Amino acid sequence: MSTRKTINRFATIGGICTAVALVATGCGAGGPSATGSAGTSTVNVLVEAGGHAELTGVAVQCKKDAGVDVNFVELPYDGMFNRLSSEFSSGAVSFDVAALDSVWLPSFKDALQPIDEIFTDEAKKDIFPALVKEANVDGHFIGLPAWTNAEIILYRKDLFEDAKNKADFQAKYGYELAAPTTWKQYQDISEFFTKDGMYGTDVKGGVETEWLAHVLQAGGPMILDENNKVVIDNAAHKEALDFYVSLTKSAPSGAAQVDWAAAQNLFNQGKTAMTRFWAHAYRQIPKDAPVAGKVGTAPMIAGSAGIGGVPGPWYLTVPKATKNTDAAKKFVQCAYDHNSMGIESSLGLASRISAFEKYQDKEGYESFGPLIETLNGEATATRPATDKWQQIVDTVLVPMLQKAVAGGDSATLLADAKKQIEELVK
Amino acid sequence: MRVAERTTQDAGAPAGVSVEPALRPATRARKRRGVNREGLEAGRRSTRTLLWILLAVAMVLYGFPFLYLLFTSFKTPIDTIAVPPTILPREWTLENYTNALGRSGVVASFINSIQTAIISTVLSLVLAVPAAYGITRYKTLSGRIFIMAALVTRMVPPVAIGIPLASMMATMGLSDTPIALSIAHTTISLPLSIWLMSSFFEAVPKDLEEAATVDGCSRIGALWRVVIPVVSGGIAVTAIFAFLASWNEFLFALLMTAIRSQTTPVVIANFQTQFGLDWGSMTALAAVYSIPVIILTLLLQRKIVAGMTLGAVKG
Repeated sequence: MSTRKTINRFATIGGICTAVALVATGCGAGGPSATGSAGTSTVNVLVEAGGHAELTGVAVQCKKDAGVDVNFVELPYDGMFNRLSSEFSSGAVSFDVAALDSVWLPSFKDALQPIDEIFTDEAKKDIFPALVKEANVDGHFIGLPAWTNAEIILYRKDLFEDAKNKADFQAKYGYELAAPTTWKQYQDISEFFTKDGMYGTDVKGGVETEWLAHVLQAGGPMILDENNKVVIDNAAHKEALDFYVSLTKSAPSGAAQVDWAAAQNLFNQGKTAMTRFWAHAYRQIPKDAPVAGKVGTAPMIAGSAGIGGVPGPWYLTVPKATKNTDAAKKFVQCAYDHNSMGIESSLGLASRISAFEKYQDKEGYESFGPLIETLNGEATATRPATDKWQQIVDTVLVPMLQKAVAGGDSATLLADAKKQIEELVK
Repeated sequence: MRVAERTTQDAGAPAGVSVEPALRPATRARKRRGVNREGLEAGRRSTRTLLWILLAVAMVLYGFPFLYLLFTSFKTPIDTIAVPPTILPREWTLENYTNALGRSGVVASFINSIQTAIISTVLSLVLAVPAAYGITRYKTLSGRIFIMAALVTRMVPPVAIGIPLASMMATMGLSDTPIALSIAHTTISLPLSIWLMSSFFEAVPKDLEEAATVDGCSRIGALWRVVIPVVSGGIAVTAIFAFLASWNEFLFALLMTAIRSQTTPVVIANFQTQFGLDWGSMTALAAVYSIPVIILTLLLQRKIVAGMTLGAVKG
């Protein structure tokens, strides 16, 4: 009998809970208005979680300037591509503006509206040339770079300025110990600091961008040439791969598994003397880290073709399927007008040259000078504009690098990679 | 020890002092029984010790990841990324909890998770209980095909149905609502619920229902008044599984929610960004998020145990 009472009680509670939940779901706990409402001054902005802070200040300013209210939809990076694919393919989008990683632009170009009016001559001069080129797809600008990044050199200033280290280095290598500017210097310094449980640098076998930067420095186009021919087996790629692998002797073991997070941890923990890393990391060194206050910055190293880096911009785009084009474009314009506000955020990045220049001499922004120099580097270039890029990275480049840093023959690996990429892009 | 002493005394009895011959065999038998009992006790003790050790190992294996998560949530930022990692925080801090809970959208995501999980659980039970009852009581061919088909749906990778489901919800105007997500979650929990409930109904003797019908109950009345109270433990187990399936689900939530219905698993994942991973805040929010489930499990513990052992008394 008591069991029946219990059942009845559970059924009643369940019923009440469901009723309450159903009523509550009428508006949802998030609260704001329905997505993509036609002709309203509210826009929904889809953004990767890390980039949200970059646009928060802009959103506040945009409300004041243009009367546009902004709701942010944050998603984790790993799931964002799937979500975008799903919504673009269904033709019903839940957002009016999407911040897209540059590598996704070619994949979604047909679902995005041109925003040529924002790319005035003045704007084109104030945005890094590589980004202006990348934003232009089939003759139209389809994305405004909201912020950009590139790998620079972070090094242990305290170790580089140590008198004994300076003297020892001079004696061993015959030149002064300073932030490296060439491949040779990077190799020497890495070797020099690999002692007493410390390593000179890291080698990231789990990500491809760094090796691609070296390919640019060696004078090659990355993976595909301008005619979309696969050139991964050329001399520049081999030279870059051999250089990349040569650093493993001055890096912690297990290079095949090292990715951005691992490399950043190693450097912040004081285990490596140098790292090639995205510029934003300089401002994200924890205050209680052993290396806090001891880090210097320098532009990315140069190869035979000069300084070269792979920019990592995110573009604000307006989907064709939005019913709120006017407000969406107003927001994108605001993001351009108040681009420097992103620098005050936790990520601390922007996309306009003038925004970076405004801050580069301020304390705490020492990474901006090297970042500007790298982004303006003669060999700096964006990734190839192919919708197969993510697939090429995941299925060919990263596995190849992992085999290379584990001791594989570079020429054979590059030849195999060429065949696989040709299969993907044909 | 006492047995050993007695044995020594007997063996060392002084000459001329007679020991009752009639008592000797009995004493020996007692001694043997004592020795055997001691041996059995020792055997049992060592078996029990071994079981405890195995249990402890299993507990550590299962519990360690959660404990590590919990400890990490109290670490300072630099401790969370220490190389090599440390288990206990070097310095305890609540900063991660402040950061995580202060982040915009976290409270709303909790409410969304609760709403979604409740609706999904109730939907699963409302559909699974009659389905499982029908299948087990009528034992028809179509019922057997249905239950196998339900299992097959579990074999389809969620991502394969996630994108079409998201499009369907958009077509129905349900995008970004907890209802849409609850329906999606029910597709995950329903097959499992039907299977679980079927096994619980199987364990209930038909005689009980027949007795109820003799007493004037209709079939539905017998189900509601007799069978369901008997399988209430099983219902609790099924409810917990359905609730957990929805509470922890990530992929559908990622594909179908935006501003109004985003659930906490997506918010937790948002701490890993392209620019870094905020371990401290992520673990803090994950720890908080696990509290309701722990409480629910503890509240329903008896029912769960009863449900787990329901099949054991069959027949």
